[in-house]
Amino acid sequence: MPTTTIAVNQDVLAAKKQRAKEQRQLFTTQGTFVINLVSSPGAGKTSLLQATARYWQNRFRVGVLVGDLATDRDAGRLRPYVPVEQLTTGGACHLELSLVQQGLSRLPQQQYDFLFIENIGNLVCPASHDLGEHVRVVVLSTTEGDDKPGKYPKMFRTSQAMVISKSDLLPYVPFSVEAAIQDARLIQPDLVTILTSSTRDEGLQDWCQFLEDARKEMLASRDADAAEQLTASEKSVA
Amino acid sequence: MHEESLIRSLLRQVEELAQQHHARAVDEIEVEVGPLSGVEPLLLQDAFERLKDEFSWPRAELSVLQVGLDVLCQSCQSESQLKDFRFVCHQCGSTSLKIIRGDAFRLLNVSMQVDDSFNGKPQATATQHSTDACGLPLNEQTSHP
Ligand SMILES: Nc1nc2c(ncn2[C@@H]2O[C@H](COP(=O)(O)OP(=O)(O)OP(=O)(O)O)[C@@H](O)[C@H]2O)c(=O)[nH]1
Ligand SMILES: [Mg+2]
Ligand SMILES: [Zn+2]
Repeated sequence: MPTTTIAVNQDVLAAKKQRAKEQRQLFTTQGTFVINLVSSPGAGKTSLLQATARYWQNRFRVGVLVGDLATDRDAGRLRPYVPVEQLTTGGACHLELSLVQQGLSRLPQQQYDFLFIENIGNLVCPASHDLGEHVRVVVLSTTEGDDKPGKYPKMFRTSQAMVISKSDLLPYVPFSVEAAIQDARLIQPDLVTILTSSTRDEGLQDWCQFLEDARKEMLASRDADAAEQLTASEKSVA
Repeated sequence: MHEESLIRSLLRQVEELAQQHHARAVDEIEVEVGPLSGVEPLLLQDAFERLKDEFSWPRAELSVLQVGLDVLCQSCQSESQLKDFRFVCHQCGSTSLKIIRGDAFRLLNVSMQVDDSFNGKPQATATQHSTDACGLPLNEQTSHP
């Protein structure tokens, strides 16, 4: 029987990436700015979201999808502040778009200005999975060591911002903020960096300003695209 | 580790391809990984060994091609291979580099045995697989607008 070799030469995740891109376009159309929060376990993602909700005090409509291997604990911590849905992965080490879409259908159906997706605590696997977010933010806590960016290059390369969390602990741990930033920017030169403490509500103004600006930018480019399309269609009519 | 979910995606694609080509057997699946693919070659092989019995052609072999991290400088247009994860152009020192290879998990080739009567040609209705079938940029894992 003849043997034949079929050349495919395609990204195995191409179809999933395409679906994520479509989901991102949908979020943009709806005016929802989506943040994928990633970190190692316990870096302070849930605490940052609690502090963010406290800081904004209902100025924005915020929703949260939170990934958890087995429990409902993080969702329980966030429920007093914002609409939240739990995504239980049943042991899987990362979130995928299909889980996010299921969670979206369970969230109260209303307009959201910001949607946060708290990923599973893991600096490896979530790096490969686009969830349709506008920005990926990696949270690095001061207790983890300032050498971590270089050890998890894909996660830092694919993130647009880094939150250095637990700044209140800096006096007690050998962690250089400058060294961490320098290390991360070797991999991702455009990385935005923000220093926060959720227990002392420090750095939240910088963090929230970054989010608000990024959302405004998304809305402006969406409206510019729409205007351009309108002009193009007017021209084709003329 | 997410290697199992990647292998499942891979095997699903190979099944589809084999069906389109009326394959009688799949012999070899060749994939490419690089330093920023987010895939560990050994774990990938392990996951493949664990899952291949669920596959229609459990005798197929997985061959993993490891490539380096190739970048294109956006300032001077020169191509180079990074030896570590320092994103600095070797020619001009610019940090504005685009990854052109080594950051994805790619299916390269599938070797299969086909029935003579079909001559290895896919069904007329089958979707053709080609590079960039989705019109996606195949480099850089996440392309944010
Ligand atoms: N000192 C200090 N502790 C913090 C800060 N933020 C979080 N923590 C503590 O760090 C621990 C983990 O915080 P979480 O917010 O649960 O972290 P997480 O990233 O959501 O954890 P997982 O979802 O389990 O990966 C908790 O005991 C928090 O109280 C901070 O800014 N300063
Ligand atoms: Mg949490
Ligand atoms: Zn250059």
